[in-house]
Parts: sequence; structure tokens; C-alpha cells
Amino acid sequence: MAVENLAPVEKKEQIEESFVYLDDEIEKSHSKLVVKDVNGWFGSKQALKSININIKPNSVTAFIGPSGCGKTTLLRCLNRMHEMTTGAKITGEVLLDGLNIYDKAINPVIIKRRIGMVFQKPNPFPTMSIQDNVAAGLKLNGVRDRNLIQDIVEDSLKGAALWNEVKDELDKPGVSLSGGQQQRLCIARALAMQPEVLLMDEPTSALDPLASSKIEELISNLRERVTIIIVTHNMQQAARVSDFTAFMYLGELIEYGATNQIFKNPKKDLTERYISGKFG
Amino acid sequence: MTRLLDIGLDKIKNLLVDMSILSETTVNMAIESYEKGIAIRSKIFDHSEKLRLLQLEIADFAIELIARYQPVATDLRFLQSCLDISYGFMRFGRYAYDISEVLETIGPSHKCDTSIVSTMALIVKDMIKLSLDSLRDLDKDISPKLYVMDDSVDSIYRNFLRKTFKLDSEGLSTTITINDMKCYMSTLLILRYLERISDHACYIGDCVHYIVTGDPTPRK
Repeated sequence: MAVENLAPVEKKEQIEESFVYLDDEIEKSHSKLVVKDVNGWFGSKQALKSININIKPNSVTAFIGPSGCGKTTLLRCLNRMHEMTTGAKITGEVLLDGLNIYDKAINPVIIKRRIGMVFQKPNPFPTMSIQDNVAAGLKLNGVRDRNLIQDIVEDSLKGAALWNEVKDELDKPGVSLSGGQQQRLCIARALAMQPEVLLMDEPTSALDPLASSKIEELISNLRERVTIIIVTHNMQQAARVSDFTAFMYLGELIEYGATNQIFKNPKKDLTERYISGKFG
Repeated sequence: MTRLLDIGLDKIKNLLVDMSILSETTVNMAIESYEKGIAIRSKIFDHSEKLRLLQLEIADFAIELIARYQPVATDLRFLQSCLDISYGFMRFGRYAYDISEVLETIGPSHKCDTSIVSTMALIVKDMIKLSLDSLRDLDKDISPKLYVMDDSVDSIYRNFLRKTFKLDSEGLSTTITINDMKCYMSTLLILRYLERISDHACYIGDCVHYIVTGDPTPRK
């Protein structure tokens, strides 16, 4: 009885705690991802300069900053996508649960399975049905059990809040869905691989306000099962959906902290000026 | 380039300046009317009403700016504080009206010892001036000074309250005249209103501290 009574209080404290996390506390707490002294280049141009950041598990972290500040580059460094660009280079470490994803012994495919990605524009496979879009990754990874695939497809579509809208038309082409639905289909496709971290690169920039708000609700719900990092140009979206915010400028991480603190009382003048729309 | 939000913020700042001038004038008028025994309730009522309407105007406009521009950081803290500060100015007007009403209800004060009220009024007027200065200059360091002055105001009020109770407990109430009783009542009420004005002056100082630093004052 006593335990039952205590449970909600503990949960409440956890929720409150998540809103008052400051840099030092992020530092001390267990981190899902640790970015250590990461530098990134495109040819001779340095796009990231000594980035250090710890990402708390089951949280939503927003990367904000003006165009060209390195947000997307940093995001792509977190699942080894940056190195796929010709001429791109990275130094430093990215630790996923303590494991350096850039270790030579690590297969990048495994990393992409554990750290999924959703892009700016919805990109369902054009020739595949809704069902096959979600199941594509599983099949590529050798899953053959039809019942298992069916269960994962359903679970992923439910996780992406799309199941109720498409459950009777799973054989329809993925591209027949609306833009917002296509983006949720892409999220379902990423979820099907049961990632631990989900990277989202401006996931609502091509969507109307209603579809955007559905994605935002989804992000909020998904934090229970995955750690989310989102790149966004929309300040209000960062303020609405994220627990932590990182502000970047000219390839440097200027300020990182609890979203509430960043938007109400930023420590750095540069952050204040950017989020207030005084430059950028 | 001027942001659209800045145009709105400037308008709110101007409204706050209007309120600050009017609220200071209104409190000064009320104190003077008590000290000189001149009843000017209707004039103070007009000022108080004007302050109330200005407060509503600021609240509406601040909410509109939040909805339209979704300000953050200092801009957001400023708008949030504007709501509190304008409420404070509105309360200055309301307490000034209450003071004027004491005079109307209980009668003129020329037969009373007005020295205690005058002593407190001097401090409170200084507090209002200081709080307005802190707002004008966005001076976060005025807040602690206001709290020291507020302690003096509280002390004067509490001492007078104790003195009043002591009179009653010693059975002296039978020996005091109706006029003495009126004087005690009016003094006690006016001290109470001035003490509340003093509190609101402190809150204005707190708001300025919050706008500048983002932190509530240590006292809070």
C-alpha cells in the first residue's frame, strides 16, 4: 500500500526533475549519447568545432541555430551518416551507452539500426505499399517470420500514431498518403527497427500546422520508448517539444541546458539574441 | 532592423510610464489630503479608475504580444513582469482611494496626531520613487533597499497595532473620547494601506530584478 502511494509522487518528482536539469546535472547523470570533442569537416571547411554534449535517455533534445551553424551535420555525425558524404571527415568520439560508434570494430549498419533517422521531407519508398515500407528494414535485416513482421508493422504504425488511419489500406502505396501521414510512415519505418535513439532533421518543415502538431504530439509520446534528438528552425517547436535545447552558431555549441532555462533565461548573450530574433 | 515585437514592447513601456506617474501622483494626493484634512475622494477615484483601465489595457496588450510573437528570454520576462507591475500600480491607486475614503467616512484628521502616518508616508513615498527609478533604469540592485525600507514600514505598522491593542487590554478604552477612537481607527487603517503600498513597491523591485537577471529576488 505504501509503495503504491509513493509511486505517483516519485513519478511526479521525475517529471519535475526533467525540467530543472542544468548543464552540470546533465553531465553527472547517465547519458544515452555522449559527444566528445567532435570536429567535422566538408573537405577543408570545418563545420563542427570541438562539440561536447551529453544526451539524457528518454528525453527530447532540440538542436537550434541559424542556417549553416552545423545542426544537421552534428545530427548526421550521431549515426555515422556524415562520413557517407564525399570529402566529409570527423574526429572525436560519439558514445552510445559507453560504446564509441566510430570504433573500427563497429559495423555502421548496426549503429544505424540502433540510431534511426527521419528526414526533412517524407521519403517513403515510392514503389512499396504502406506495409512494405514499414517492413523494409526488417526484411533487409533478414527477418522472415511473417507473423513477427506483421506484429512489428502494427506496433510501429501504432507507435507513429498512424495505425487507425491506415489499418484497412496497408496494401496501398506509401506515396498515396498525405504529406503528414507520409512523415509518420517514415517514423513508423524507423521505429520498426526498434531504435534506441531517433534523430529527426526538421521533421515538420514540409508539413502544414495540423500535420506538424500531430508529429509534435508523437514526439512527446515517443520519448517513453526512445531518446529523441530533433533539429528545428522553429523556436516555438523547440520550446514545445524538447526537454533540453542546444544552441549552435558557426559550428560551435554555444549553450546547452534545460529548454525552460534556455528560452526563459539563457546564460549567453548570443543565445538570447538568437532566440529573441535579434539576429539570424 | 526593428522587430515588430519591439514596437509593441515600446507601447507597453509608454503605458507603464503613464501608470507610474499617475500612481505616484495619486498616492501623494491621498497622503496630502489626509495630512491637510482635505477631502478629494472623487478626484482620487477618477485617478484610481484610470489606473485600473490602464492595467487592463496593458494586460490585454501583453497577452496579444505573447500570442502574436511568442517572445522568449528577456522579452518574455519583461511582458510577464509588466502584468505584475501594472497590477502594482493599479493597487497604488486603489489604496490611495481607500485612504481618501477613510477621510470621508471617519472625518477630517486635523484633530488627530498625524505624525505616525506622516513618518510612514515619507518612507512609502521614497519607496514608490525608488521602485519607479528601478523600473526606469532597470536597476536590479534597488530591490534589497526596498526590502530594508519595507521592514521599517512593517515595524511602524506593527508597533501602532500593538499600541492600539494595549489600550484596549488595559481597560483604557473607557477613558478615551470618540474623537480619539476615530483618530486611532483612521490612523490604523491608513497605516495598513500604506503598508500594502510598501509591499507592492517591493514587488515592483522584485519584477525588475527578475527582468534583468531571470532569477527571483533572494528574499522571494
